Amino acid sequence: MTSIVLDGLVQGLQLALLSVGVVFVYGLGGVLNLAHGQLAVAGGLAVAILRSARWHPLLASTAGVVVAGSLALLLDRTLLRAAYARRGEERLLLGLILTLGVSFALDGFYALGAPNVALTLRMPSPSLEILGVRVRTASLAVGGLSLLTFAVLLAFLRGTRVGQAIRCIIQNEVGAVLCGVDVERVRTLTLFVSGVLAGVAALAQGFSSFLGPEMGTEFTILAVIVAVVGGVRSLTGTFLASLLLGLVNSALSYTVGTYLTWIVLLTVAVLTLLVRPEGLLAYWP
Amino acid sequence: MLRAAAPVAITALLLVAVPALVGGSSYGLRIASLTVIVATYAVAFNLLFGHTRQLFLCIGALAGGGAYGFVLLVRDLRLAPPLALAVVAVGVAAFGAFLSYVSIRRGFGVLFVGVVTLAVSIMFHNLLLGLRQYTNGETGLATRGVGFGLGNAPQEGYLVLVGVLVAALAGHQALLRSRHGLAFQALGEDELSAALSGIDVTRYKVGAAAVASGLIGLVGALYADVNGFISPSVFALGHVDIPVFVALLLGGMRTLLGPVVGAVLFSAVDEVVRPFGQLTVLTYGTLMVVLFLLFREGVVPAVQRVLLRAWARRLRARPTPPGVEGEPVAYVAAPRTVLPPEGRNTASEGGKASARDPSPR
Amino acid sequence: MLVVQGLWAGYDDVPLVHDVHLAVPGRGATAVLGANGAGKTTLFRAIVGLLRPWRGTVRFDGELLSGHPPHEVVRRGVVYVPAERELFPQLTVAQHLELGAYCAPGLFRSGLERVYTLFPRLAERKNQRASTLSGGEQQMLAIARALMAAPRLLLLDEPSTGLAPRLVAELYRQLGTLLREGVTILLAEQHVQAALHFCQQVYVLKDGRIAYGGPAGALRGDPELYRTYLGQAPGPPAPGGPGHP
Repeated sequence: MTSIVLDGLVQGLQLALLSVGVVFVYGLGGVLNLAHGQLAVAGGLAVAILRSARWHPLLASTAGVVVAGSLALLLDRTLLRAAYARRGEERLLLGLILTLGVSFALDGFYALGAPNVALTLRMPSPSLEILGVRVRTASLAVGGLSLLTFAVLLAFLRGTRVGQAIRCIIQNEVGAVLCGVDVERVRTLTLFVSGVLAGVAALAQGFSSFLGPEMGTEFTILAVIVAVVGGVRSLTGTFLASLLLGLVNSALSYTVGTYLTWIVLLTVAVLTLLVRPEGLLAYWP
Repeated sequence: MLRAAAPVAITALLLVAVPALVGGSSYGLRIASLTVIVATYAVAFNLLFGHTRQLFLCIGALAGGGAYGFVLLVRDLRLAPPLALAVVAVGVAAFGAFLSYVSIRRGFGVLFVGVVTLAVSIMFHNLLLGLRQYTNGETGLATRGVGFGLGNAPQEGYLVLVGVLVAALAGHQALLRSRHGLAFQALGEDELSAALSGIDVTRYKVGAAAVASGLIGLVGALYADVNGFISPSVFALGHVDIPVFVALLLGGMRTLLGPVVGAVLFSAVDEVVRPFGQLTVLTYGTLMVVLFLLFREGVVPAVQRVLLRAWARRLRARPTPPGVEGEPVAYVAAPRTVLPPEGRNTASEGGKASARDPSPR
Repeated sequence: MLVVQGLWAGYDDVPLVHDVHLAVPGRGATAVLGANGAGKTTLFRAIVGLLRPWRGTVRFDGELLSGHPPHEVVRRGVVYVPAERELFPQLTVAQHLELGAYCAPGLFRSGLERVYTLFPRLAERKNQRASTLSGGEQQMLAIARALMAAPRLLLLDEPSTGLAPRLVAELYRQLGTLLREGVTILLAEQHVQAALHFCQQVYVLKDGRIAYGGPAGALRGDPELYRTYLGQAPGPPAPGGPGHP
């Protein structure tokens, strides 16, 4: 029972790494980044390639994360400017189409350029015993990595001026401008952060099983669904939704098959939306 | 009246001429059939998303529901094909109406409807895979000879599909020209204002969803017959929803022929890109991005604008009647002549009222 | 202090501000009066950079302000409080004030003290979320947030909207304190009485053009002039309401 819960939490944390990035971009840019999963894959593939070139794992991982962040940055500075020039629903729609196109392009690019590359990160021993419970070291790695990342993120958001600016832009962009916040600059930074989170999510995936070049779309779909369930402008809500869905997934995986798991998971997501249409904690920052 | 029927009639004629144009090549007919199917889906999606802002990302699922339902009804329950077709169309229509109704009642915005229907899509996909005793799972079902036997007569099959598309187009046009058309236009622009003007928004949206879904289910069933083979991946997101979405946006949302133009363009691109093998998806993506940055509203409106400008130029060449000098009535005209082109307005980043916000403050 | 010359601005192709010239002297209050749709908000937004002017210039202390992005304008000391207030619903009063000082972090402490002295009611509600405040308190918060940026020129767009007369009077008393502290105020109002009694200089905007610009006293004292530019002549101010000494 404990292992199911722990496993679920770890999976939830991994999911959160992906979906929180989506919330950042939506909250600050008004754009739903359909290429988010591809950012993660970029990071993961970079790490794998560097590892095979005999780079030290820590260095390769950092480099991969930076790659993911930089790709997001590039996206922001180039294509997304067309979306930012518009308002409201037009911006959302154009952003959807552009990022969809980019996700296709990247998908094809990966299949072409790195078809057989996959990222796997192995821990020294497969499992450990902690307090009498058998724990997979992979789960420990993922859990540790995510918690560390979120701790840093929280410190950034609460402690720095820019972090606070991010929170207030999500709530009211005009209000932030009136306070003298350079929204464009903060937005670019946020895109970078979302890319970094995606990169870390790739690392987590490398730990828990493996990351392949074709996984981008699945990541994106998961991230978007969880983000919306959590309240697409709420960081806390998305974090909690990820944990919830991670737990449900873990509980189901032990009992029923893959297909039914997906169905139940999605039903839970849809039911949550039905009960609370704004998302779980839409009003929490 | 005749003038209005022209676009659809011309389209119908062009479509019917296609088999002759491809010289009866079965490959050509297959591509044409698929294009017509995508176009019909796009007409439905136009009604859903273009006119009533319901982002149903489950078109593949609806079509698949129609297809699998039809095959199972005919093969296992031994229903007569026409009856099965009707049952399936009504069933899928009801489901679409249900989705729409629930979304409206819960006040879902565009994004949420998209996500919920996305979830439905994935659920359906997994359902098909999981119920392998009925659906044969990933391997799929051979459906040749099931139903109307159109699989064995590709030309007839194509013409049936064309018939459905033309009927859908004609229906769409008739709808827009009727008194409901104005309601749809109002709905599409501003739901709240439309509701406040007394338009029963729920009825229109649910109705649109029902009609569109029924159409999709019908075509899905016909596809099973014409294609001779169905499998879960055929109705997956990437195979149906994305092409339809792209086709509609390319052709022009809320236009009459946009779906058809978009579907044709999409197929053309597909054919051009196919020999590149691995590069296909990459090219798709790049093309999408480039095309959308260029043709923001779609090809049809862009073409209309070009034609309109040419027409306007012709009108301006005519001499102005005497006595119409003096201040232009609407001062919208004034700035163009008074101001040098010095820095057009762009509501910069923080502006709450959009640059397209018509209400002055 | 603020000089606007030949300003044209609008949305899409519709001009809402036609060739506006105005000058705001330092250390005083100037009012821009006009009916709904006269162009007051468009004018303010164009001054502050939320809307790019089509023509004309805005100069602050001799330096060009127009053409700079809005956050730069705030940094220069010109802060705008819009009619919609644009608060952050889920953030507390204290958090708003912290964010208000985004451009002036060094002056945070002194700014906080000043604001809590001026608006003691906000001090009481320090940890309350903005969405739970009353209309009057929200207006106070919007102004307080703007003050945290240590502005030299404060632009207020219809600050008395939605406020009961008693609250309007209180608001203008607080604005008076600000004036004495050296802040220049430019305000747009539909509430003519309060503005006329408070400000030294007045501009009247009609259909996007300046119809009158001059000392407030002249408009106050001349019913004929008043009627020409502002509609019917004023009655005596209501007791306890704004404008009553």
